[in-house]
Amino acid sequence: MLKSITFYVNDSRVVFSGNPLTRLIDILRDELGLTGVKEGCGEGECGACSVIKDGKLVTSCILPVGACEGSHIYTIEGIRDTDKGKCLVDAFRDGGAVQCGFCIPGMVMAAYVLLSENPSPDENTIRKAISGNICRCTGYDLIVESIRLAAERGGDLWV
Amino acid sequence: MGVNYVPETLEEALLLRKAEKAVPLAGGTDIMVQHRRGLGLAPQPDFPVMIISGLNELRGIKKLDDGSVEIGALSTAAEIAASELVPWHVRKAASGMGAISLRNSATIGGNIGNGSPKGDLPQPLILLDAEVVLLSFDGERRMLLDEFIIGAKKTALRDDEIIKSVIIPPHEFTYSYYRKIGMRRANAISKLSLSAACTVKDGVISDFRASSGAAGPKVIRSREAESMITRKPVAELEDIVPDFLAAWDHAISPHAMPKYRRNTTARMLTEFLEAVINGAEPGIIGQEAL
Repeated sequence: MLKSITFYVNDSRVVFSGNPLTRLIDILRDELGLTGVKEGCGEGECGACSVIKDGKLVTSCILPVGACEGSHIYTIEGIRDTDKGKCLVDAFRDGGAVQCGFCIPGMVMAAYVLLSENPSPDENTIRKAISGNICRCTGYDLIVESIRLAAERGGDLWV
Repeated sequence: MGVNYVPETLEEALLLRKAEKAVPLAGGTDIMVQHRRGLGLAPQPDFPVMIISGLNELRGIKKLDDGSVEIGALSTAAEIAASELVPWHVRKAASGMGAISLRNSATIGGNIGNGSPKGDLPQPLILLDAEVVLLSFDGERRMLLDEFIIGAKKTALRDDEIIKSVIIPPHEFTYSYYRKIGMRRANAISKLSLSAACTVKDGVISDFRASSGAAGPKVIRSREAESMITRKPVAELEDIVPDFLAAWDHAISPHAMPKYRRNTTARMLTEFLEAVINGAEPGIIGQEAL
């Protein structure tokens, strides 16, 4: 029986001992101060809390920490200063993808996973990749364009 | 309020199940949502929970000697959608479940154990006569998924058992059909869903089957209605369709918006049967392959 959960957030080791049903988002925001992870719906539908767990996109608001033993978690704070992260952040800015910004960390994480798996996606593939991320401002078009821009500019970065 | 556990071995999990009646949590996409309490608070079910996501014995998809496919309970919707071993109806349903992040978390064991008539995976699994393998200290037992799910949120799972895997027997269909209707493409819970399949040999329908999701307290298959079509020549099908549709309509029992659900179910069945009557190219009817 595990008495504590050990996992890695943005490459730093975290040991949590407490209720294993504690939501990962609450540890990320309240204990680690990673407030780029946003809580929108709180039921896994809006994607604002998206993080990357062992290479896969997950919604941290419905992920219990007890399911994170040994996992490597990355949040927007962990990727934004990497080459790939900078490429996405610059493209989102230059492409005018951001209005209120609440959904953007989640969008960037979804785009990061997409481009890491598929460096030159077509429009439909991009739309599917962000279909679990809701944006109430932009109507999505400029976000889709910006992800395409990041793919074009990044080139070999994503391969 | 229950105490929550993270067992490290299958044996520990079975012990917790037996001694504490702990409820297994795999991906958490149902339990974490159903018992959520909002910002900063851990969900608080009134039963003990054990998080079994680390039990690798319950993972993996493999082909068995008799051609069946065994899917471990912890296989996620994303893994099922991506596996070429898994039959088309089930891959199709898995690929339309939630959005990417949900498919990376939600498991087949959880989707079955939750027992919802709107669940995405039970509907095509019941079409294919899938069986569920249940594990306890007494050993394993197997039963048809159609019998395992008793009604809305009710299953035959004993309180010392956990779901180990799902076994899908082999099939070769001439025509296959799957459709899910929801409010949006991503992250929608089914308003209604239907799977159908049909095998034609020498102009005779040797196997016909259908299953309706979200059209009653559990996934509905009517062997009685199916038998009206099975073993009949394709040439006679057109004359049988009205009576068959009436029999299927009798079998389903949608609670909310019954007229809409009954009408739409009939239209989906008609779309499939018309393709069979018109001698469509063998394969998938009505939608892109995957």
